[in-house]
Amino acid sequence: MNWVRVRKDSVVINGNMLATESTGQAMLKEVYKKCIGDYPKFFKMDALCRLGFVASELLLQQESPRVVNTEHRAVILFNRSSSLCDDRNYQETIQDSDNFFPSPAVFVYTLPNIITGEISIRNKYYGETLFAVLKQFDAREIHDIVCEAFLDSMTLDVITGWVDCESDDDFEACMLLVARDENNFTPEFINEI
Amino acid sequence: MIVKIADNITSPLGFDTATNYAAVLEGRSCLKPHEDKWNVPEPFMASLFEDGAIAKRFSAIGGNVHKYSRFEQLCILSVALALKQVPHIDVASKRTALVISTTKGNVEALDSNYSGPGNEYLGYSAQMIAEYFGFTTTPIVVSNACISGLCAQIVAMRGIESGRFDTIVVVGADVQSRFIVTGFQSFKALSHEECKPFDINRQGLNLGEAAATVIYQKVEGENHNCWMAMSGAIRNDANHISGPSRTGEGSYRALRAVLEGVDISQIGLVNVHGTSTPYNDEMEAIALGRMKLDKTPINTLKGYYGHTMGAAGVLETVLSMHALDHGIVLATRGYEQCGTSIPVNVSAQHRNTSAMSFVKLLSGFGGCNAAMLFKKGGAA
Amino acid sequence: MDNLQDILKQQIIDALNLEEIEISDIENDAPLFGEGLGLDSIDALELIVLLERNYGIKIKDPAVGKEIFKSVNVLADYVSKNRTK
Repeated sequence: MNWVRVRKDSVVINGNMLATESTGQAMLKEVYKKCIGDYPKFFKMDALCRLGFVASELLLQQESPRVVNTEHRAVILFNRSSSLCDDRNYQETIQDSDNFFPSPAVFVYTLPNIITGEISIRNKYYGETLFAVLKQFDAREIHDIVCEAFLDSMTLDVITGWVDCESDDDFEACMLLVARDENNFTPEFINEI
Repeated sequence: MIVKIADNITSPLGFDTATNYAAVLEGRSCLKPHEDKWNVPEPFMASLFEDGAIAKRFSAIGGNVHKYSRFEQLCILSVALALKQVPHIDVASKRTALVISTTKGNVEALDSNYSGPGNEYLGYSAQMIAEYFGFTTTPIVVSNACISGLCAQIVAMRGIESGRFDTIVVVGADVQSRFIVTGFQSFKALSHEECKPFDINRQGLNLGEAAATVIYQKVEGENHNCWMAMSGAIRNDANHISGPSRTGEGSYRALRAVLEGVDISQIGLVNVHGTSTPYNDEMEAIALGRMKLDKTPINTLKGYYGHTMGAAGVLETVLSMHALDHGIVLATRGYEQCGTSIPVNVSAQHRNTSAMSFVKLLSGFGGCNAAMLFKKGGAA
Repeated sequence: MDNLQDILKQQIIDALNLEEIEISDIENDAPLFGEGLGLDSIDALELIVLLERNYGIKIKDPAVGKEIFKSVNVLADYVSKNRTK
């Protein structure tokens, strides 16, 4: 089971640290340029989507051959802060009546599930996309909801995990690719990532 | 079988399902033009609660308006009225869960002028609502844009089907705010007039406030005269984060999944999203056509309520159930003349039906789409 | 950077986060939408905000936007004739 963990100052793929020179948003850009590089839409994304996108790319790069164009793969993600990081940016564009220029490009990211859409668009995944918000990280809850997602017979594997972005430079993601009947997928495993 | 044992709709049209159904049957709506509301510079048409209406009701049931935000009060009102119908439910049981569907919750708390209780975290609101009733399991907030209300019901179905829970309370709600209204305005997605779903002159959507609750429980067999949640599916367009797919891809695939092995002639209604934006309604018509549902009666309730976001999936499911209980396919308020490239079976009048199964369809930002199939127990 | 075309190009690059694109990459006559810059419907809406914020030009009808975003030259011409700031 492949997994990735991205924190503000570190990137770990299947237990191996990826060397990075920067932190926060600059680190996400650095990793994009070094490891991805072919998707300029990345620069239009808000911080939550940049985080989720980088994590998903690093995760999927571990897969060979990389699966694209399928309805059999679901994207089910969780966090604590919803889209609040971008919500605050949008609020800034409307807070002042004298400087009132609501931005559609910022507003479109004021929904947490947009990252599940970004991953689907990038990889042509037509399967389930779901986003749920928890009061705090809860490996048991994530585990149970993902296991139950396999009740949809179309779903053969799930990109899942925690993608939380409190502010531009305070974020954490852990993401894994779980196949149907994966025995090692347990709350303990999620906790260890 | 997973059956609905209680429900509630709390909207500007009324504070219980029966009142809402009666109002809709009369063709009423609370869509009104609002000027200078929340200091939004441009006027907008929306279905909003009267100022203070939620707090007044909340006080009347003994709630502390200084402790709970407007959003939390609205959720609690709706859940309380649904729970009242099933006093035997043990809310505190480890086998009972709460699933909340919302897109923006307390987002108005981000405004520097906000002086109400609570904060902007959805998990905080969820905890407040859960503690009010004494739920002991972790409340889940499903926040999946406009399809949240169906996703929440699908998550609930699965939680019961897997054996994890016996009873799940699903509440969907959103309150409107300067944040949401100006955002939709910046998208040029709002109509200045009452929305005209599927109509040739449709120009955009109206926003609305509401909460709705449905309580699901597992029962054996189908001889119970209750509405059953038969299947649900969520699919993505994999196309664009805000624009619907030109081929109705995700909606078509979601419909295909829930109707697998189902005789389409038995489906009495597809209650669609029908936001009244040019692209959404066109996309849905294409998806319905691809699924050979273009001759099946369809309707949308946006002309009565506007787009109630996190509430929509629950509210529209519950009202469709009540209408079919009365043998009625509700009229699509605002519709006059077919305005989609694939003609669909939509009507401005209420229609009679004897059908006892229907499909609920939604789509939303992030390219997400969801469908659910419902059937009444005891029906052929 | 003293002509309106180049000023607009820089503002477009900044407003739409076209991080890997430079002023010299955008031709004055080339279409802004379609192939090339890879702009979409959200970008078009954001450009409408840009015109209002920087030049006091209010565009209510997105269809008008479609006309004036044909190229940087067309846009510069429209801005110079309609700007209020």
